[in-house]
Amino acid sequence: MKSVVIAGYARSPFTFATKGELARVRPDDLLAGVMAALVARTGLNPDDLEDVAVGCAFPEGEQGLNVARLASFLAKLPETAGATTVNRFCGSSMQAIHQAAGAVAMGAGDLFLCAGVESMSRVPMMGFNPMLHPGLAEGYPEAYCSMGITAENVARRYGIARAEQEALAAASHARAAEARLQGRLEAEIVPVDAPGGRIAEDGCIRPETSAESLAALKPAFLAEGTVTAGTSSPLTDGAAAVLVASEEYARANGLPVLARIRSIAVAGCAPDVMGLGPVPAARKALARAGLTIGDMGVVELNEAFASQAIACIRELGVDEATLNLDGGAIALGHPLGATGARITGKAAALLKREGKPFALATQCIGGGQGIATVLEAV
Amino acid sequence: MQIQRAAVIGAGVMGSGIAAHIANAGVPVVLLDIVPKGMPAGADRSAVARGAVQKLLKADPAPFMHPKNARLVTPGNLEDDLGLLADCDWIVEAVIEDPAIKADLYRRIDPVRKAGSVVSSNTSTIPLAALVEGQSEAFRRDFLITHFFNPPRYMRLLELVTGPDTRSDAADALADFCDRRLGKGVVRCKDRPGFIANRIGAFWIQAAINAAFDLGLSVEEADAIAGRPMGIPKTGIFGLMDLVGIDLMPHIARSLLATLPEGDAYRAAYREHPLIARMIAEGLTGRKGKGGFYRLNRDGGGKVKEAIDLKTGAYRPAERPKPESLAAAGRDLRALADHPDRTGAYARTVLAGTLAYAASLVPEIADDIVSVDEAMRLGYNWKQGPFELIDRLGSDWFADLCRREGIPVPALVERAAGRPFYRVEGGRLEHLTVDGAYTPVPRPDGVLLLSDVKRAGKPVWKNGSASLWNIGDGVMCLEFTSKMNTLDADTMAAYGKAMALIGDGRGAWKALVVHNEADNFSVGANLGLALFALNIALWPQIEEMVEAGQRTYRALKYAPFPVVGAPSGMALGGGCEILLHCDHVQAHAETYVGLVEVGVGVIPGWGGCTELLARHAADPKLPKGPMPAIAKAFETISLAKVAKSAAEAKDLKYLRATDGITMNRARLLADAKAKALELADGYTPPQPATYTLPGPGGRTALDLFVEGVRLQGKATPHDVVVCRKLAEVLTGGDADITQPVDEDAILALERKAFMDLVHEPDTVDRIEHMLTTGKPLRN
Repeated sequence: MKSVVIAGYARSPFTFATKGELARVRPDDLLAGVMAALVARTGLNPDDLEDVAVGCAFPEGEQGLNVARLASFLAKLPETAGATTVNRFCGSSMQAIHQAAGAVAMGAGDLFLCAGVESMSRVPMMGFNPMLHPGLAEGYPEAYCSMGITAENVARRYGIARAEQEALAAASHARAAEARLQGRLEAEIVPVDAPGGRIAEDGCIRPETSAESLAALKPAFLAEGTVTAGTSSPLTDGAAAVLVASEEYARANGLPVLARIRSIAVAGCAPDVMGLGPVPAARKALARAGLTIGDMGVVELNEAFASQAIACIRELGVDEATLNLDGGAIALGHPLGATGARITGKAAALLKREGKPFALATQCIGGGQGIATVLEAV
Repeated sequence: MQIQRAAVIGAGVMGSGIAAHIANAGVPVVLLDIVPKGMPAGADRSAVARGAVQKLLKADPAPFMHPKNARLVTPGNLEDDLGLLADCDWIVEAVIEDPAIKADLYRRIDPVRKAGSVVSSNTSTIPLAALVEGQSEAFRRDFLITHFFNPPRYMRLLELVTGPDTRSDAADALADFCDRRLGKGVVRCKDRPGFIANRIGAFWIQAAINAAFDLGLSVEEADAIAGRPMGIPKTGIFGLMDLVGIDLMPHIARSLLATLPEGDAYRAAYREHPLIARMIAEGLTGRKGKGGFYRLNRDGGGKVKEAIDLKTGAYRPAERPKPESLAAAGRDLRALADHPDRTGAYARTVLAGTLAYAASLVPEIADDIVSVDEAMRLGYNWKQGPFELIDRLGSDWFADLCRREGIPVPALVERAAGRPFYRVEGGRLEHLTVDGAYTPVPRPDGVLLLSDVKRAGKPVWKNGSASLWNIGDGVMCLEFTSKMNTLDADTMAAYGKAMALIGDGRGAWKALVVHNEADNFSVGANLGLALFALNIALWPQIEEMVEAGQRTYRALKYAPFPVVGAPSGMALGGGCEILLHCDHVQAHAETYVGLVEVGVGVIPGWGGCTELLARHAADPKLPKGPMPAIAKAFETISLAKVAKSAAEAKDLKYLRATDGITMNRARLLADAKAKALELADGYTPPQPATYTLPGPGGRTALDLFVEGVRLQGKATPHDVVVCRKLAEVLTGGDADITQPVDEDAILALERKAFMDLVHEPDTVDRIEHMLTTGKPLRN
């Protein structure tokens, strides 16, 4: 099997859906901009691209019609590269990376552009035409359990108090704000020309967030619940892209290698506690890598909700000193289809920056799944 | 002269409100104010005007008829942006009431404004003669006073004052703009202190306050007498003072005392009451202050309405007085004023003083009595003006009252010599002129009032709930006449009769207009009747009522002649459904439309769901597939959304984009009739729509959404029941996406859902609660 590396990472700024600066930007344009920038920054030869794999949770409307292919045209990639849109809800673009890694490993191509996009402004969650299976909704309502309620379920099951969730959210904002202030996010962000002007910074981070300001919010999903808008990731617009290549090709062509992919995994769990998905997924990936959580110097755990993140931290035994060093999704935002590429690319970049041996990127997935990637330093 | 661009100078409450209303007319408007003193460099020099626009967007009631109108307002400042005035056809000055400041501003405006542009002041206290003193010849020709009332969007009166030099064509053009485009009742006043409305209004308030103190009435008693019984808003005197600000009164008094002629009755009436002076000093200035004559005491978490005791100055729980005089007099104003107790004396004193004062001011303040009555109706929301009130009392009886009260009988009342101020002659309304003759009350071109039609003759047909009128040129008008214009079987019968009479629209009758002049077009089905039927389980009758409504509205929609709805005020529930079935709606700008059935635990059952769904489904801007249109209709109906203007009703699709909006209520019927005649030429009825609906899959998605809202604590248990029924109707019941259905199928679902819901005790509770409290029950 060939060795697979991550040889580049870039993303758009992440901004609030509807009220943010990217709300009026088409997702295909947003995606194409990030893809083109990554191509330019890595200096890759586009003619060598085997495939363009794009994760998207609700691939319809402006992000429909195999948006991977259309964005490839917009990014002026050669027509000889393939293009596929991948759907595993929030895990879509990590799945795109996994597919590419699998293909490289079995000798089915050397260079893959893996990306993700979601405009939660322009394509609503559940899509434009949600039509659910009445029998399933009746007989197994968990299948359609809303995300906010899964967060409440996890909080209840693990006895995670509201204050504890708020502490994690406040820490996430503090880290993200600090990272932005120190310019640590600049390298990964591709500025976007939006109708209101050029956008070069994230829009969801609230540096003023404190435990007190969070404590004032009302529960968002359950009248007597503990999960608020402040302890949930916001609806977000954004795109992210990662370059996946065989190590051999990357070295031969001088690509900026960030990390090697050591192992991958997906796992299912009960849909009404979908936020626990990273637990079995990460355990599988770590076992496949022959490593333990203690070996991980960098952990990117997607913060869909503070409650599920805390439950995963506890179950997996994550050292908080390794966790989401530049902030997590509660502060940065969670454009569903783009998040997997962001946290995998970010983990790879952090691995290099922090000089650690191993990194874990993992996230939960609506409907009851988890997905995980273990990276190692090169 | 066309007014294509305007400017307002002064971004205070009045200035910004006027700017907003000019924007409501679709006219771009520049809003200028000063550059604040001591600003840091680089700060926004137009912050005052810009801030005013932001305030307008948050104000309630909304000064804008649609938030997007704010884009028509360009904020600026008086130092950098005077040049913007060069493009403006009309410049309104609404700065502080200081003649020196205004004069200085005019001298700055004059050189930059374009030749022939009109400049007007919104002054309420400074005479025009004083304002133009020392201004250029051209300025004097182009200058006049346009006095708006607060809030400018909602108050219909506009007092227009010209000077001897004012160009008559400029005054006429502006009057026409204010009438047609701003929807105002333009009343020409003479250049006298306080013009018409505030001159009489200030006297009335002073007289009524004096009398309350003198006769020892409580504020509640005073407002109970000098309110509804006199056709005056129920706020009466003290409630009105709380509303406008008690501290406003000394300002108006000061300016009137400075300018009124010697011997004016206001001077004698003017008194400073120590209690009121104390209240102002303590900040008890009314609703905007810490309290007024009334206040809501929230101590201890409760909400107790309190009133001030005029003797002790202490607050105490408010009472609901039932003066014996009112019970004895009923609607007879004369009997009320004749009643021997102190409340009768109060009515007598206030009426005699105020009406005599008003009658003594014609022709000093206006050429005719019509202007005075109109000003008080539109500026103070009186149902009847002073001369109409005198007619209610009888002019000879009133003259006698003046003598009894020791007030000189006004010359005009003497001249009436027992004759009424208004009479109907040959079907036309006439008024008494200052020389003692009668002349027709003028109606401008493009004004057609149903009340005039009604005065001129008998209805074509009528029953207990509706009348059919001939409004000329082959157009019939259907008028609701029931209490609050609720709808019942008689309303449906009237529609049936109208359709029978109009036939194929090719005979004597060509078209139907649905219109009335009540405050509210219709508040919907008669809930009292419905509740009665529910309580004795008259299920077949209820079902028949639903079916009859559907049949009638559908018959109207597909009738071989055009039907035009012409609503003003509230058009709720069944009243909204009428409009949804009209070929065209010509709506007064202040029309408040909504499908509010969910509030009483049912869903729209007279085709409201079906029609609103069809409108959203036909919207090319929505994403493809059936759910976006369903979701829109579901949101609007489930939240019982009521549009706060005709413009907003278009957003909600209660009105079509092509429906017309008339700014001036007096022009509504004429506009609707013209549209009806236009449509009648070569009319073909609409084609029925077909609906592609998702059936149970879509319903399940909506159910899931409703469940989420319930878990959030934002939907009550019965909300969930009603919303699930609504979801079933809008998604087409058992429909399948491959099998389009016709509107009959959806109407049947509406009926079934409605009948299922009226069987629910929680629905009955909601109806009962609405009937007894006027508010929805959240069960």
